[in-house]
Amino acid sequence: MKSNNGMIGKSIPRIGAIERLLGKPLFSADMELDHPLVLKVLPSDRHHARILDIDTAEAARVEGVVEIFTAEDIPRNHLTGIINKDRPLLAKNKVRSKGDAVALVAALNIHAAETAAKKIHVVYEDLPSVHDPEEALKNHASKVHEKGNLLFTRKIKKGNPEKAFEACAVVVEKTYRTSFLEHTYLEPDAGAGYLDPDGNLVIIASTQNPHYDHSELVSLLGVAPEKVRIVQAATGGGFGSKLDLNVQGFIGLALYHLKRPVMCTFTREETYRMTAKRHPLKMVFKTGADENGHLMAMTAKMICDTGAYGSYGLAVASRAPVHATGPYEIDHVDVECRCVYTNNPFAGAMRGFGVPQAAFAHESQMDLLAEALGMDPLEIRRVNALKAGHKTATGQLLNGSVGIDQCLEAVKPHYENALKTWLHGETDFAKQRGVGLGAMWYGIGNTGVQNPSTAHIEMDGEGRITLYTGCADIGQGSTTVLSQIAAAVLGISPDMLCMVVGDTAFTSNAGATSASRQTYISGNAVKNAAEKLADVLLTEGVDLLKRPKTDLMLENGFVVYKKDPDHRMPFSKIAARAAKRGIPLRWQGYFDPETVPLDPETGEGVPYATYAFACHVALVTVDVLTGEVTVHKIIAAHDVGRAIHPASVEGQIRGGAAMGVGFALMEEYDPSTTRSLKDYHIPTAMDMPEIIPIIIESSEPTGPFGAKGVGEPALIPTAPAVINGITNAVSARIYHLPANLERVLEASIQSGKFTMKEVA
Amino acid sequence: MDTYSVIPIRFTLNGDKVSIEAGAHETALTVIRERLSLKGTKEGCGMGECGACTILVDGKSVNACLMAAPQLEGRTVMTVEGLGREGKLHPLQEAFLEHHGVQCGFCTPGLLMSAQSLILETPRPTHKQVVEAISGNLCRCTGYQQIVDAIQYGADKTGGEE
Ligand code: FES
Ligand code: FES
Repeated sequence: MKSNNGMIGKSIPRIGAIERLLGKPLFSADMELDHPLVLKVLPSDRHHARILDIDTAEAARVEGVVEIFTAEDIPRNHLTGIINKDRPLLAKNKVRSKGDAVALVAALNIHAAETAAKKIHVVYEDLPSVHDPEEALKNHASKVHEKGNLLFTRKIKKGNPEKAFEACAVVVEKTYRTSFLEHTYLEPDAGAGYLDPDGNLVIIASTQNPHYDHSELVSLLGVAPEKVRIVQAATGGGFGSKLDLNVQGFIGLALYHLKRPVMCTFTREETYRMTAKRHPLKMVFKTGADENGHLMAMTAKMICDTGAYGSYGLAVASRAPVHATGPYEIDHVDVECRCVYTNNPFAGAMRGFGVPQAAFAHESQMDLLAEALGMDPLEIRRVNALKAGHKTATGQLLNGSVGIDQCLEAVKPHYENALKTWLHGETDFAKQRGVGLGAMWYGIGNTGVQNPSTAHIEMDGEGRITLYTGCADIGQGSTTVLSQIAAAVLGISPDMLCMVVGDTAFTSNAGATSASRQTYISGNAVKNAAEKLADVLLTEGVDLLKRPKTDLMLENGFVVYKKDPDHRMPFSKIAARAAKRGIPLRWQGYFDPETVPLDPETGEGVPYATYAFACHVALVTVDVLTGEVTVHKIIAAHDVGRAIHPASVEGQIRGGAAMGVGFALMEEYDPSTTRSLKDYHIPTAMDMPEIIPIIIESSEPTGPFGAKGVGEPALIPTAPAVINGITNAVSARIYHLPANLERVLEASIQSGKFTMKEVA
Repeated sequence: MDTYSVIPIRFTLNGDKVSIEAGAHETALTVIRERLSLKGTKEGCGMGECGACTILVDGKSVNACLMAAPQLEGRTVMTVEGLGREGKLHPLQEAFLEHHGVQCGFCTPGLLMSAQSLILETPRPTHKQVVEAISGNLCRCTGYQQIVDAIQYGADKTGGEE
């Protein structure tokens, strides 16, 4: 390895941070186009109905209306979806949920567009609707899609759990439920489009995956790939929902037909109504252990409601069961997860793809087993924690970085201290304190499928270097991290690199910004490209410096003779000479983690090349008279392999923990009542405790400089830790998230903590 | 272009006098973003719930999405564009940079305005005062801690300069 130049592990100022502090970056809704038309979507107001007629005549007469589009106007394929194509851009023949787009108005101003949308008359014939996934699987249930309501089943089988349960000292069986959640990124979905001078469609959008958007637009419009260019605008968070085609398709359709600049900006209400939610899961977990707390067997039946469309449902229904054991070795496993269509809002990717839900179940089970055995919750986790050499439930032999035990070790002093002192420091009888643990593992990248990333690096004749990556930075900081990786390989400072990011006219596919995959996968692709360029520079340096290649290194923009740093040659000279000699200075990098597809019957395979691990400790206070829970502190230990940019890792951990607090205590999207931010509460600064991130670096041999990932792992252990803390406080357990006031109060009443006697 | 009654409005924006005509139905946010093309101020909800649209009006933080445009008459308004500039960041902006208080940056302009309003009133705010002052500004990315640290640190630096 070439010297990493001190660039790895350094929290350099984030690329784009100064601009953001000055309010300069253009988010999609900030684009200034020449008299753009505005687009307004008419959503369905039926759960499930046949469309008999769409009458746009009156709407078309509204002053300022330019055009109204329906499914008929989609030139090629009307269905969209990254895994299974089942979601129409505009409804054809029927609607399957209240958020389905039925028609699209293009008008001179928003007032005209809104007025017209109200004057579109849709004649529906209602169909029976189904809103519960278990109901949806019954024979008589109304079919959401022709092919039936069961979208997908994932099974994981290893050993013989039923037999193993017989030998267990303790077996715990419980049912867990979670709710629909709204991503609530701060920036509502938006995009803008125009035709470039060559007549190509340029779409600027808030997106997590510009190259997917590109392929989808080509498919919808039936145009040549080079006719469409997707540019990722500054993006105000995504958390999974901006992986779907939220506004891009509407913009493309209008541009295609009208050939005029257009803008589509969702209101918060539209974002809530028409974009993906987190899948609610029902999970029946049965877990058994021997008298020493060794996990012997587990089974789980999981069912997830994907609503009207698949979106990332298959990924969720694969990831949740794969991770159902938690970060523990269990010899006998039988897990099944079904993903089911209903007429609810569609559910898709949301930070963690079903693993936060699964972790709520497996970590509750761990505490229940510990309680039954009279063991300490930390101890039972340590007894079972995965180690190198262990096999997972899919039969994967773990041989790289496995840092769960280090995470457990790292939180131990905090945990023990909290139990010893903090737990007993409350004098108000109504306020009960509790300490809870949550651990997790998380596979980096997509589950058992190819998910490569590519990148290009180029040196011009004057030695200037440009890195091209299709990796969408949605706020997590990937552009900075990728620049550090390239800079470390090339022996330059990151600010000497020009970064071209997320623009399909210039960048190649880096895959989605999801599955915590960009540092590991795109990081490796960038490293691979940079190493090829570095090799050329060193090889050219041999000729120019008359020294063997092994004695040369790259430093501060020079090829340097290691034994005499004054004997060196600037990149600019090497570049000029190489250009003259026709030596390529543009290189592609590629990386695809090594996985083995999961067997459809047993789940055997290698779903991920590497895993991140974490453990959180939550210190909570429960007001047993009101049900109010205050999180006092979270200690969050994360094995990230290597923190390329530690401040960003800590930022992910803190932001993830905040989302975890929301998931645990307050967030619930009720399809029938949640309309806006007034009805959906996410943590504010007042809700957030002190978070103490602890970064564990169990270096991953296949990671760029040892790195894995942290984006989703950050959120996963929080809710279980908080729930286990509440249980510790009130001696009653909550099995349905969120643990809102009513549920906590109910638990405190049931455990006898709430008594009027004490009040009096 | 539209049939609504149009009202002339004069106010001071980031130190400059502006004079525009706005519809009585318009909000201060649309005036700033659409009429005056200052896009640093964001719209996250349009109903006073997120704080992304926070501006300073006579030194006090206000949700621009809830303020009727005519109410701007005669006021002194500051948006994020008026706080600092390239090469000369405001101490608060410096502090956000140093403390890594920016992730996606969509909440950032509003948070800076709430922080500035706090510091104008309370030059050395306590942790609790900072948390309260920004409790109307949602941030989905950071978990707030790096922002709170930045504001306290930035307040110290601002105070030091005065
Ligand atoms: S846009 Fe004004 S508070 Fe959200
Ligand atoms: S940094 Fe993204 S919402 Fe605050």
